[in-house]
Amino acid sequence: MVNTIRNIKYSIFTFLPTIVLFVIALNGSAIINIKFVSINVHYILVYYWALRKPQYFGYGFIFLAGITSDVVFGVPLGVNALCLLVVAAIATYIRVVTVRVTLLNDWLSFIPALLLANFTYFLSLYFSGYNVDYLYLFENSVFTFIFYPILWAVFTLYNRVTQT
Amino acid sequence: METSRDDIGIAIRSAFLNKGIKQRFSLFFLIIISILLIFFDKIDKKPFSVFRSIINDTIYHGALIANAPSKAIKNSNNYIQKHINVYSDYVKLEKENNELKNKALKVDFLELENTQLRKLIEEEQESLSNILRARVMLDKQSPYLNSFVINIGSNKKLKNGMAVLHGKNFIGRIVDVNFFSSRVLLVSDLNSKIPIITEPSANHAILSGHGMKKATLEYLSENHDIHDGDKVYTSGKEGLFSPGLPIGLVKKKKDLINVELFSDLSQITFVNINITGRNSK
Repeated sequence: MVNTIRNIKYSIFTFLPTIVLFVIALNGSAIINIKFVSINVHYILVYYWALRKPQYFGYGFIFLAGITSDVVFGVPLGVNALCLLVVAAIATYIRVVTVRVTLLNDWLSFIPALLLANFTYFLSLYFSGYNVDYLYLFENSVFTFIFYPILWAVFTLYNRVTQT
Repeated sequence: METSRDDIGIAIRSAFLNKGIKQRFSLFFLIIISILLIFFDKIDKKPFSVFRSIINDTIYHGALIANAPSKAIKNSNNYIQKHINVYSDYVKLEKENNELKNKALKVDFLELENTQLRKLIEEEQESLSNILRARVMLDKQSPYLNSFVINIGSNKKLKNGMAVLHGKNFIGRIVDVNFFSSRVLLVSDLNSKIPIITEPSANHAILSGHGMKKATLEYLSENHDIHDGDKVYTSGKEGLFSPGLPIGLVKKKKDLINVELFSDLSQITFVNINITGRNSK
């Protein structure tokens, strides 16, 4: 009985990041805008979990969350999915080539992920005939990068709680 | 220690092609699927649009449920705010009411004159039968695309390009029609370009959206005589919308000619769709 409850608890804990990913996508809160600050929470979420606990986060779920985000935001199907997969791909690569887990390592390696993902976003929208606000995209990259350590700390704390 | 090319190759292969721990799909496979989806999205053939409509309708309705708690919080916040502002609103409304009463007589005369002139040019009269009412399902505006989703689609014979009104004010056009939902591109969006005419200066221009910022007038003649407070209407020159739909007021700021919209785009719950726009014929 105790084991069953523990297993259920563990399942909920392991599924929570995926649930958050989908709720954010459905809610349209993937990009938080507060005055001139714009943060892409989706990128941070995918990057962190694909880097640290890939077993909690299926690539298929990332793809589906991206598609959901595309529909909610009204951009062509596949654009957000592609960007999130690019972030996940870079996180996976970093995971393969690094040994030590430090905030600084994660934070610095987040730069290429962010730049490449936003570049993919720009290219996909450009070829789909959409106008893109370059300055906004740049602002978004900068503030997402700055905000990363805060969510990193929250997720790391969550990871520790799950392990105990 | 040098990193050999083989090591990088192995790392890339491991990251992209291997399925990894508890993964059902490889990243490479999903990336290819995403790229294919982007290309398919541009194809306007029936099987693709049906597939797109099904996905869109399903996700919109899912999003409606996911948004319910945040909407409830927002509504209760608005409710409290309205109660707090009740006295100041009353004073403001009383003043406005007095002004409107004074204008009412003048309006009656102008309306009569307008009806006669419209009859003279055989302009189609707007009636309740050619206006469809719809409810805003999702108003999560993307920073890249200022739009919202309404709860009617091809089931009510909506078509791309139809004018969307808030009350009688023009706020955007239909850009994506599904079975039970449609997307409205707002005039504030970066991709929105609407031909307009100003009143009383009678200048033709293009109203361009700028995302989060205010919409501006572009392609004006060099010697235009637009002033602050001039009204902006659709000109109907693009052949899609009826001419004379009110949009907003001119607000000049240095070299920029901004347009302050009559409707607050963040406060829209119901919209009217003019189904007798010229494109519906």
